[in-house]
Amino acid sequence: MPIDAVSNFFNWIVFVVNFMWGRIPFMLDGAKLTVYIAVMAFILGNLIGIVMGILRVSGVSILEAISTLYIETIRGTPLVVQILIVYFGIPIATGIRFDPVMAGILTMGLNSGAYQAEIVRSGIKGIPRGQLEAAESLGFTYWQSMRYVIIPQALRIVIPAFVNELATLLKDTSILIIIGVHELTRRGQYIAAWSYRYFEVYITIAFIYLIMVLIVSRIARLIEKKVRIPGLGVAGGRL
Amino acid sequence: MTDNILVIEDLHKSYGDLKVLKGVSLKVTKGETVVIMGPSGSGKSTLLRCIVRLVEPNSGKIWIDGVEVTDPKTDLKEIRKHVGFVFQQFNLFPHMKVIDNITLALTKVHGLDKEKAEERALKVLKKVGLEEKAYAYPGQLSGGQQQRVAIARALAIEPKLILFDEPTSALDPELIGEVLITMEEIAKEGKTMVVVTHEVDFAREVADRVIFIDHGKILEEADPEKFFTNPEHPRLKSFLKRLLERV
Ligand SMILES: Nc1ncnc2c1ncn2[C@@H]1O[C@H](COP(=O)(O)OP(=O)(O)OP(=O)(O)O)[C@@H](O)[C@H]1O
Ligand SMILES: [Mg+2]
Repeated sequence: MPIDAVSNFFNWIVFVVNFMWGRIPFMLDGAKLTVYIAVMAFILGNLIGIVMGILRVSGVSILEAISTLYIETIRGTPLVVQILIVYFGIPIATGIRFDPVMAGILTMGLNSGAYQAEIVRSGIKGIPRGQLEAAESLGFTYWQSMRYVIIPQALRIVIPAFVNELATLLKDTSILIIIGVHELTRRGQYIAAWSYRYFEVYITIAFIYLIMVLIVSRIARLIEKKVRIPGLGVAGGRL
Repeated sequence: MTDNILVIEDLHKSYGDLKVLKGVSLKVTKGETVVIMGPSGSGKSTLLRCIVRLVEPNSGKIWIDGVEVTDPKTDLKEIRKHVGFVFQQFNLFPHMKVIDNITLALTKVHGLDKEKAEERALKVLKKVGLEEKAYAYPGQLSGGQQQRVAIARALAIEPKLILFDEPTSALDPELIGEVLITMEEIAKEGKTMVVVTHEVDFAREVADRVIFIDHGKILEEADPEKFFTNPEHPRLKSFLKRLLERV
């Protein structure tokens, strides 16, 4: 009966909201850890990405080789395997031990660095040739041209891609359940395991991720507006 | 040395198998304005770029004010400090205010302090009539204004020579005039200029000499009056015919 179906559905919603409501603080603690790990990994990845991205186009073949090796290795291996290496492998090989959160930040930061390096490289390549030519004609060295002219423009162009990377990190931290980090997804597992409400719990968890990602893209739009070059329509728009 | 600002001797340049410059020789004396014309692909931009070694020539020699540019020992920075370059696409730095576009090289390359640099920037902006745009961004200016800023940027380094590579061909027709007037004023002040352009009126009124280059060679060199009214080389004749018909 359609009436029954509607009322059943309504009852279910009421139940889910009631059931979840009491668990919100527990889940939000997990969400906080998720955000913390993602942001720290993003910052680490950003530093690595900017350095590696610049090396990649430095014109110095040894530096380009180092950067290429780094990027290819990281992008050519699964994130899960990288996490297992850092958390389980490195302590045995070297005696250096990380707690799960630290291992998570480190691995995801190193991993994200490779992707962010590619973002930076594409941003630099996207600056019209004439910019470098003009800078060099004024007597700047290649490095001065990069520093004052090319890189500041390239970084503006790639802001949307950076933000996208942060959103990806927020979601990918869920992988850290394999080393027992008590982030959002792991906490969902707890609740689901004793309540057997797998569907309701994971739907709620998914919803929280969605909200976080939406907040990030909103912040991104504010940043884009802030660093937009006056007179150019969109960030990265060319003359 | 005489008062030759620019001397080019038997310059050759190829891109792979493509011979672009096949023995170009040219002298430009102090205060002269030389206009270069020639069909698309004839090597005009390549020639200008070779002068400041934005492009490396294959052979031949170039001197600027007695300093050999093509000598491998010569510091490129020292050459470029004294030569202004104005590009077809303006190539202003869009993320910097107009004034910073001008002061950047003055402080970082020429070693002026910030105050001196800004003073000089405002002076050259005034000269091109854009003092009030000093704190605008390039993207907020019209094409003609942007090119005048680019000219100001070139002037600010107090160059011995200014090279212009088709400075008006990216502009809407109604904006060309203001740029040409600015260039004419600079020429009248006695700056030494080499200008690649197809603006016949500018060449007639401002140039001391007009040069026709085709397939990497200088085919004709004459004062503007003779160049336009009594050209000798058949290729220049047909080039001028096409050029004047287009207008
Ligand atoms: N970096 C490069 N690599 C390969 N070929 C080039 C390069 N730059 C220019 N060329 C070629 O060299 C030739 C001369 O180019 P150049 O730009 O000097 O001509 P131009 O006389 O300035 O032409 P235009 O009037 O179209 O600007 C052209 O055939 C061009 O395609
Ligand atoms: Mg050209």
